[in-house]
Amino acid sequence: MDTPLREPTFLILTALAREPMHGYAIIGEVAALSAGRLSLRPGTLYGALDRLTDAGLVELDREETVDGRLRRYYRLSPAGDATLAAETERLRHNVEAATERLRARRVQPLAPRTAGGLA
Amino acid sequence: MTELERRYRRLLRAYPTDYRRDRGDEIVGTYLDLAGPGRRWPSLADAADLGRGGLRQRLRAAGATDLIPGVRLAGLLALITAAFLAGFWTLVERNGPDPELGVPGFGPFVSVGVIAWLAWLAPALLMLFAPGRPTRVAVTVAVLATAMVPVVSGLADVPRPPLYALASQFALGVLALAVGNRLPLPARALPGTAALAGAGTALFLVGPAHWSWYGWRPEDILPATGGMLLALAIVLAIGLGIRRDAQGGWTVAALLTPIGLLSVHILAGIVDAVASGAPRPTYPTLIATAVAVALLGPALLPAAVALRGRYGTGRARPLEPCPTCGAPR
Repeated sequence: MDTPLREPTFLILTALAREPMHGYAIIGEVAALSAGRLSLRPGTLYGALDRLTDAGLVELDREETVDGRLRRYYRLSPAGDATLAAETERLRHNVEAATERLRARRVQPLAPRTAGGLA
Repeated sequence: MTELERRYRRLLRAYPTDYRRDRGDEIVGTYLDLAGPGRRWPSLADAADLGRGGLRQRLRAAGATDLIPGVRLAGLLALITAAFLAGFWTLVERNGPDPELGVPGFGPFVSVGVIAWLAWLAPALLMLFAPGRPTRVAVTVAVLATAMVPVVSGLADVPRPPLYALASQFALGVLALAVGNRLPLPARALPGTAALAGAGTALFLVGPAHWSWYGWRPEDILPATGGMLLALAIVLAIGLGIRRDAQGGWTVAALLTPIGLLSVHILAGIVDAVASGAPRPTYPTLIATAVAVALLGPALLPAAVALRGRYGTGRARPLEPCPTCGAPR
């Protein structure tokens, strides 16, 4: 799987980090994690789960039938755990770097540029 | 089974049969979980989602998942080429006939085609500032404007560009609808740059002092443009292939229809030369060749996908056995 991960992929792996989940629960969890910004549809979700399964990042956990509807639960594989941890670390580093720069900018505002540059 | 479930299952036919048998209950179950009470019909967004998912799954089953990025790249190349030609023809159109000579024109322009060429400049510029939906809407408008030129010309009895100039532009436009949303700034600047390059080429080749160049100029500019487009696509395909990326092959395959229409003079000339030894293609051969390219070209991609699925090595991994019951899937 290519890295950096795209946001929906990152959030699907994040949703599965806590416990195995079925498709409907993953959709709800991704919506909650993104504060309602990302609303996955089933066709998109199962396509993403297929790709993540092919890449060895997600595994099938178990199947259940609830109210006559089939539910398959998916879990994070060890490789998925490692990929999510590495991606989280990369994002954390970026966030810390950006936070540091913004803090410095507020403490010491940039001087206005002189037209024509340095003599 | 409720009516809503039955309708979702009908839409699920977009997926391959094996996949539908294996995952259909799960996918439909999730749609039904998400559906509000009293809902009787799947939404348009659900139908589009199932259509996209089915297409992706069919490509995955055929081991052709690189087709989509390949066609997106072809869409960008098509938009660049269409913008180049629009820039070229817009400048040519400025050289309208002298009113005193009584040669028919479209106001100060050579033909009514100027409307279509100007419409093509909008997506070329929009691509830079608003890629995605706004650009695709502008491409759609330009494609429709191109298709309407012969109709308007017939109804209003005004001159139009030759049909082969319009047909190749139409084919480029249809492919340009596949252009991707997430492109870096230099790639998004290419269509606008190409339009300027086309205008510059027209100034250089045609100059400002002549009019009614449609009579012979397309025979030169269109095959040359098609040849350059083919060469560029092949170079990109080889470059991507060296990096073990097969999308360039799909890019070439997707571009063959517009390239064939751009080169219709050469292809028709070959046909006539073989059939009757004629030095120049006749009008009926031109028409027959263009129709053959327009019919056979679009059939190449699905045929290539089918062949890849049958003989290729890139088939998707089968699903693992069910962890609950151990049954093969």
